[in-house]
Amino acid sequence: MAHLLCIDTSTAQVGVAVVSEAGILGEVRLARGRLHAEQLAPAVSYLLAELDLSPSGLAAIAVGNGPGLFTGLRVGVTTAKVMAQALRIPVIPVSSLDLLAYPLRHTRRLIVAAIDARRGEIFHASYRRVPGGIQRLGAYQVGRSSALAAELQAGAQEVLLVGDGAVRYADEFNGSALIETASAIHSHPSPGALAELALARYQREEFSQPWAIEILYLRKADAEANWEVGR
Amino acid sequence: MVILRSLRILGIETSCDETAAAVVEGGSMVCSSVVASQAERHARFGGVVPEIASRLHVDVITDVIARALVEAGLDFPELDAVAATHGPGLAGALLVGVSAAKAIALAHGIPYIGVNHLEAHLYAAFLEEPDLVLPMVVLLASGGHTMIVHMIDHGRYVVLGRTVDDAAGECFDKVARFAGLGYPGGPAIDRLAIDGDPTSIRFPRPMLDEGYDFSFSGLKTAVINHVRNHPDDDLPDLCASVQEAIVDTLVIKLMRAAREVDAKAVVIGGGVAANTALRTRVLDEAARAGIRAFVPARWLCTDNAAMIASVAWWRLHSDGPTSLASGAYPNLRLPVVG
Ligand SMILES: [Zn+2]
Repeated sequence: MAHLLCIDTSTAQVGVAVVSEAGILGEVRLARGRLHAEQLAPAVSYLLAELDLSPSGLAAIAVGNGPGLFTGLRVGVTTAKVMAQALRIPVIPVSSLDLLAYPLRHTRRLIVAAIDARRGEIFHASYRRVPGGIQRLGAYQVGRSSALAAELQAGAQEVLLVGDGAVRYADEFNGSALIETASAIHSHPSPGALAELALARYQREEFSQPWAIEILYLRKADAEANWEVGR
Repeated sequence: MVILRSLRILGIETSCDETAAAVVEGGSMVCSSVVASQAERHARFGGVVPEIASRLHVDVITDVIARALVEAGLDFPELDAVAATHGPGLAGALLVGVSAAKAIALAHGIPYIGVNHLEAHLYAAFLEEPDLVLPMVVLLASGGHTMIVHMIDHGRYVVLGRTVDDAAGECFDKVARFAGLGYPGGPAIDRLAIDGDPTSIRFPRPMLDEGYDFSFSGLKTAVINHVRNHPDDDLPDLCASVQEAIVDTLVIKLMRAAREVDAKAVVIGGGVAANTALRTRVLDEAARAGIRAFVPARWLCTDNAAMIASVAWWRLHSDGPTSLASGAYPNLRLPVVG
């Protein structure tokens, strides 16, 4: 049986899960904020020990590769890449926005996943249900929360909004009867969603080599952005 | 300690703009050392941009680790422990090395050791000279730090002096930037100074008679004023004179400290210790004073991971492994006695 270790640290949460063909065997979610580096390795160690699994028994490592909190992502993605490298197993990257939307796939409404990007901005993407899952409509984006709120309000479509970006900028989205914000239990990317999505990809052999994994930043480093503006 | 002696440790260094990995056996035998410098990517900004540094570390970390293992002719299961710089340094950059090291520790059930970057610089000399005699006095000078450390014994340090403002390397960088020599400034000034006259311009040596602390911001201002007033001065002369003022200050205080604590040896470390004039002066002055001087190879002075793996061996000996629940410590200081 193939066991996959799943890691997402793209928001204030450290999320870890282990999945096999038998289902999700365990999940750890901690949301204390900026403690990704301190909490991720102990969470992985705890989960593997409780499941009586040796790291050498893992078949692949799945990781939420953004967009989201830069420092959190660097901890999660580096851990996944290097652990996979050390175990000679592949990595399965999944966007953290997909992980927010996936658990809501039973609605007929438009699903909009929104992660807090600070500075009045959010990372977001839209999804609709398709048989067996979700389909993303358009690109992953970063923009003002107010701009997304205006766009959704003008869209005349019923929307289910999810993520810590939706919570943080609730004031801007709450004005419309078309938009409902999902319960706070869905606000952070679900390690269980990562487990289900990653297992399906693993079975289709859709995986990458550790060194090829990149973080989806959606934003240039400030210095680089300023440099280009200044030219 | 017979069992520990031959331990093979993989060291990882990502505290600033160098992604480095190395395997060291028994604390002093370097099996491999790989350094991927990002300097080129920061050059146009005139200094290290933390966000860019952090991103580049994530991009190249697996490659750098793989090369360190290939060079050492080893595979992951043959490692006995893994270490990473956990401070001081840039927060986002440190987290990459710490996460990578913990990932390997998790994967193979081996100890993780979080290393103090400053302490690692103190140990760099032992990689070339395992029998270096203690107590010794170390001048640690880089872009981020300038300090004189009394190394009484392994793990027992007293900081005798440190900079009160700019680091020596920072002074080199700022002068170089002002003179249009690009970044990093140290190597550029070193090259040009060879053809210059170090006595042509008399720059101040701040705080020369006041203990072991340093101040370099006044020197930087003096250089800028001089260039404004004498725009046509020869560039090599300027570089040689600035370098002379910095080297003078560093070496005079280093030797004075060595005499006062009755050190058996003086050692230099940090990026500034790669400077040609400093290296020559330390050897000359120490010979004159009858004290042993140790000037490690340039690659051991600048940031590297061999020194991380080396100090990790000593710390594993004395303190045991570091908890996987520890983090990165951007403002970590050198642990001192007394
Ligand atoms: Zn250094």
